[in-house]
Amino acid sequence: MIWAVLGVMVGLAVGIYWPVSVPMEYAKYMSVAVLACLDTVFGGLRAGLLHNFNNLVFISGFFTNALMAAVLVYIGERIGIDLYYVALLAFGLRIFNNLAVIRHHFLKK
Amino acid sequence: MKKINIRQGKYAIALVCAVLGFMLATQFHTTQDVKATLALQRTENLAARLQETEKERDSLLQQIRDLREKSGEEAMQVELQNAMRDAGLTRLRGPGITLTIDDSKRPAKPGENSNLFVVHDDDILRIINELWAAGAEAIAINDQRIVAQTEVRCAGPTLVVNGSRYAPPFEIRAIGDKKTLESAVKMRGGIADSLAVWGIEVNVTPSDNIEIPAFRGAWRFNHSQVVGEDSR
Repeated sequence: MIWAVLGVMVGLAVGIYWPVSVPMEYAKYMSVAVLACLDTVFGGLRAGLLHNFNNLVFISGFFTNALMAAVLVYIGERIGIDLYYVALLAFGLRIFNNLAVIRHHFLKK
Repeated sequence: MKKINIRQGKYAIALVCAVLGFMLATQFHTTQDVKATLALQRTENLAARLQETEKERDSLLQQIRDLREKSGEEAMQVELQNAMRDAGLTRLRGPGITLTIDDSKRPAKPGENSNLFVVHDDDILRIINELWAAGAEAIAINDQRIVAQTEVRCAGPTLVVNGSRYAPPFEIRAIGDKKTLESAVKMRGGIADSLAVWGIEVNVTPSDNIEIPAFRGAWRFNHSQVVGEDSR
């Protein structure tokens, strides 16, 4: 957990002092990417707590999720359907699922 | 509560967390930018347009400058301005005097020529001549600029200047050194003195702000032809 918090801290610091800003038209991709990232982190924490963490699954999951979300957003923009929300919803649900599992894990004791 | 202990993959999680943090920060920046953009969109728009217009103006000015340089227009303009000033085609302003001259109010005695009590063209011409001699740079009678072709001539009870008729009193304005001009007119035994004999009053008021109108008539060149500039 310390590592996770430390990682977020480092990332935030870098992001704040390195003023990169995404153009307006890519804001959607960015938000989906953030959610994908969040989802991965929670997934990873959950796996770590349940002792079935697999580095390969974790990393590959992160990238495939992010990529798939981006593709969904792109296609959605092309065909005029907000597939963007699909990605958001899926990630959101999974985040809460993972959170629930983590919570249960702590409460079980 | 169970102690939080993740042994496996803590580095991977830390890495992804770092990425997450970075993304959050970036997203934060973006949101801030978007907010600022929305609030300032109109201002920015206007500023951009202003900048564009200024750029355009500058380029156009540059173009004008280039074209002028190419055609020697600037030199021509200066030359033209000078020539127009010399010819009396521009309004002038400067220190000088205002001179008013009116017919005599003194009743003529029997046997005296009443003609001597009114202002004549030669009186005006003498005054003008005196003013030129005193270094006047521009002279106007009433609103008629005195130029090279200006005539000053009696026409019955009126005076014709540049083809316009004027009745007394006349107002003559001249730009030059006010003291010199004034004393040239008021000189002992000068014009004002000699006219005063007949009761013709000449009033001179020096001023720092005399305005002389431009010559508004047309030049007449029916008989003359321009000979090359070399013969100057």
